[in-house]
Amino acid sequence: MLQLETIILFCIKQLNSERTIYSIYHLLNGKKSSQTIQDAHLFSLKKFFGIYESLTRESFDEIIQSMIKKKWIDHSGEQHYLLTYSGNSILETNPPPTYLNGWSYHPFTSLFWERFSLFIQVTSNLVFGDTRYVPIQKNNDVHLWLKSSLKELNVPRKELGNIVYSELIECFNMTKEINPSILVFRLTGFQQIGLTPLQIVKKFNMNIHDYHIDFIHTLHYLMQAIKLEPSGFPMLTILIKDFHQQDELTLSSRKTWNLLNQGYSPDMIAKFRRLKLSTIEDHLVEFALHVDHFSIDPYVEKELQTKIVEISREIGKRQLKLIKDKLKAATYFQIRLVLAKYGGE
Amino acid sequence: MELEKLLQKHFGYHTFKTGQKEVISSILSGKHTLAMLPTGTGKSLCYQLPGHILKGQILIISPLLSLMQDQVEQFKRFGEKRVIALNSFLSPTERNNVLRHLKEYKFIFISPEMLRVPFIIRMLQQLTISLFVVDEAHCISQWGFDFRPDYSKLGDIREKLGNPLTLALTATATRKVHEDIITSLGLEEIVKIESSTDRPNIAFYVEKLADYHDKQNRITDLVSRLQKPGIIYFSSKKAAEHMAALLDEKGICQAMAYHGGLDQNTRILIQQQFIYDQLDVICATSAFGMGINKENIRFVIHYHMPMQIESYLQEIGRAGRDGNPSVAILLYSPGDEHLPIQLAEGELPSEQQIDWLFEKAKNEQLIKDNRIELSYQLRDLGGFSEIQWRIIEDFVMNPPQNVRSAEMLKFTIKEFVKERLGVKINNIFQMKKWVESTLCRREFILRYFDEVLPKKVPSCCDLCGLQLNEYLCNETTPLLKKGEEKWKDYLAKILINSELSE
Repeated sequence: MLQLETIILFCIKQLNSERTIYSIYHLLNGKKSSQTIQDAHLFSLKKFFGIYESLTRESFDEIIQSMIKKKWIDHSGEQHYLLTYSGNSILETNPPPTYLNGWSYHPFTSLFWERFSLFIQVTSNLVFGDTRYVPIQKNNDVHLWLKSSLKELNVPRKELGNIVYSELIECFNMTKEINPSILVFRLTGFQQIGLTPLQIVKKFNMNIHDYHIDFIHTLHYLMQAIKLEPSGFPMLTILIKDFHQQDELTLSSRKTWNLLNQGYSPDMIAKFRRLKLSTIEDHLVEFALHVDHFSIDPYVEKELQTKIVEISREIGKRQLKLIKDKLKAATYFQIRLVLAKYGGE
Repeated sequence: MELEKLLQKHFGYHTFKTGQKEVISSILSGKHTLAMLPTGTGKSLCYQLPGHILKGQILIISPLLSLMQDQVEQFKRFGEKRVIALNSFLSPTERNNVLRHLKEYKFIFISPEMLRVPFIIRMLQQLTISLFVVDEAHCISQWGFDFRPDYSKLGDIREKLGNPLTLALTATATRKVHEDIITSLGLEEIVKIESSTDRPNIAFYVEKLADYHDKQNRITDLVSRLQKPGIIYFSSKKAAEHMAALLDEKGICQAMAYHGGLDQNTRILIQQQFIYDQLDVICATSAFGMGINKENIRFVIHYHMPMQIESYLQEIGRAGRDGNPSVAILLYSPGDEHLPIQLAEGELPSEQQIDWLFEKAKNEQLIKDNRIELSYQLRDLGGFSEIQWRIIEDFVMNPPQNVRSAEMLKFTIKEFVKERLGVKINNIFQMKKWVESTLCRREFILRYFDEVLPKKVPSCCDLCGLQLNEYLCNETTPLLKKGEEKWKDYLAKILINSELSE
């Protein structure tokens, strides 16, 4: 079975039919909408956010269809699905890959690969004394980064290859869950050119989706392992040194945030920015998710907040419509705010 | 200093390739020079080396953005950092930054569309341009297969820059094209340096087959027996993909497809794998080959017929740069010329498209001061490809002086299209004539470029009795077994140099 199938099964289980199947597609794609971001938090699916940006809707549909055929999932409403008994047991015996951490790493994953592959190529050519090779990464920023990073390394050039080799071996030895081949054979060195993704797929006779998940999984593992113990990997740590958890707010919501702090109301901000009120409300939901000290009290009375939390726990669901039906006094916006603020607990 | 010493010092070579020294000497004695050097003879050296002697800047006009990037990279690899490419790849900030420090660069590559910007011309006027280089100069000529309207204005630009010393570089081109280059650039006295188009170590072989099915079979058969590495050229991405998959499935050789539809990273990897002999065969479209220096290519096969003899020579010219015997094989089946004709038509806006555009512009009042306001919506609605739109844009933005109304402009564009199509179809016709020739193929090509064959070569062409035997491998080398290397060994291979640890 495909790892992507396990991941999707896991997501379906977590969503518990409260969202459509396509919310999973948006999640894997890393769609930057407040709905997707909020869902990732609410249903504890952050680790899968943006792990497969190139997944097409056609491929996604195909996988869903094949899982229906295999009777792992069952229809529970339009575009809604639940795990079947066999789906559940499949998921139990095949848990999703451990080290995926999309929420924290997806902004850095491709940059990490560009740096890593160029770093290895440059190191290899240094070790073998070749200066006239074609760099396999064209991104100028990555070139500039490598130039300045290499200067800071206080290691004799002769030694660099050996050290990087041992660090990588050690890093990969720390886990049994990763198959380093998928990554290692993509690397380019002195007079030895790495394979393309499709060539890897053929070499190991694997499925393209599995390749993709393995590849991202390995990159996330590396970033995590290096970050956890930078002193153990003095060379590799340069790859992630400046990766700081980015601000979680989008540019547009940052503007809203600034205006809000100057004392403007959501209505005024909408007018001022010529945006729909609903967009500004989306921003407020984002703040409720990410900004700890953001208070939702001005928008939802305390009493109503408690009621919304209670009802959501009572019915065990985070489906807005069900809550709204039981609590006519609350608006959808208020329910979303409360769920965003307290829903993850 | 002797030129050879300079060559050794800056580039590490001991001797010049054919024509290089003559061109450099002519430039250094202050003469305008037109150099026609066959592909693969290192044309960039002809201005790079003088750059070490001449004061001021060397300005190089180059039509292809990707080629420009390649050249800049190559300069840098050989240790020349004072090089910059001024083109649309630069962001506005980068561009401003570069323009502010323009004096610090020695070699300035620039695309013709950048030369349209008055501000950039003013910046260039402040420099001392010691050499004005026109790369791919055949683009100047209406008779050239790759005519670019931008290029025909280079004469004016050269004048604005104070008529600097000029080097026009071109690959194979006919005499008519040479004349166009010289008049268009406004050069009265010029030294022409032509080395022969002929590449004696490349033999020609044309084979006629019934249909594409036979071609596929023939290619698998040829590729399994010919000495490798080699390139197979196709006019369509799909056919290239298909053949690469076929060669691979049948276990004939390590083959990959290469075309413009692949992402950049994949393209770089495949190109490099080929250069380092990890691949035996590339199934490519004409997107492949620009800026590739691989010495030991033994064969170039054409599955489809190219659009002109010039392109054909350029593509087969990638074979045998080491001077060893190599073969160029073209497979022809009846009706093959239809594809290039279709492609030629697709490169020009059609009569219907032009009518539609002017009608639309009239109805929607998009004509102001006799000029149409162009937009991407118009381009997409009219179904113009990028290359078609470039022609329309050029006429609208820079109409000929005698054109005073939209109606006249429409007429002018149509005339232009008719003329270009005529040239292109004639080129295809020439190519077909070559395929159907009954006399020596080498002599045919030389005559096309107004040359005569200096000396008959022993391995000439199918019509002179060439047999493919001498290009076959002695024994069939079994494919290397894949998938046995462990990742740790691979990693050690690239990161650990055992000679260093002793």
